Amino acid sequence: MDIETVSRYVDAVGDETFDSPVMRREDSKQVYVPAMAVAAISVRGVVNDLQIPGGTLHLGQELQFLDIVPLGETLVCMATLAQNSVRGGQRILVVSLDVENGLGRTVMTGKSTIAVPA
Amino acid sequence: MTEKPGTIFGEGDTLTPVVCEVTQGRVDRYAKASGDFNPIHVDEKFAAGSHFGKRVAHGMLVAAQISEMMTQSFGHDWLRNGRLKLRFKAPVYPGDVVTSRGVVKSVNEVGGLKTVVCNVEVVRQTEEFAITGEASVVISGGRA
Repeated sequence: MDIETVSRYVDAVGDETFDSPVMRREDSKQVYVPAMAVAAISVRGVVNDLQIPGGTLHLGQELQFLDIVPLGETLVCMATLAQNSVRGGQRILVVSLDVENGLGRTVMTGKSTIAVPA
Repeated sequence: MTEKPGTIFGEGDTLTPVVCEVTQGRVDRYAKASGDFNPIHVDEKFAAGSHFGKRVAHGMLVAAQISEMMTQSFGHDWLRNGRLKLRFKAPVYPGDVVTSRGVVKSVNEVGGLKTVVCNVEVVRQTEEFAITGEASVVISGGRA
């Protein structure tokens, strides 16, 4: 989660908290990564790993943030296909997400529900 | 009430909303930042042939406004003890102005830890719901 990657994300979403004191550690210059930036990287992993086709729709998202991620942290994102079903002519996929920091500690978990064109 | 991290919350309190104009430029930048180049978001011709008839914003781009609102209100507690459950109800199109809103639904205390549960939503300028859901955060130090 280097400054370039995170800055691109912040610029895209316009997250104004990134420049506020809340995203800084009080006793140092350490900067924190917005929670949803961690999630966005996870979804990127899903898109790449599952080779999800164009036209796919995002129906729902669950996320749990378990620890602060400082700028410069290396994250490992794992995606698991938890459910694969057909409903109303659409294929519905549920993908579980787990994101660990460099120490192997889970910093975020999630579940994405997406509809893939049949 | 106008809140900031450290504010004491009670049932029925509203969070400070986040208002954002979603532009195609923003959608294109999000595609680059997230690696999600689904043509429904970035390819005008492909999107014109879809049932939306035009390009739509990434759901997670819009959902980011909810997380921004929660960060404004709960600070570090949101980053380390936040939970979000969202349903994407309607598409957001470039040119839309969306507003993220939140209301405290309950404040629960279990084992000395307080959890603030909020109903959250993102509405388009038409007041149509784009996203609905629930966000909860465990408050450090027991304040809530």
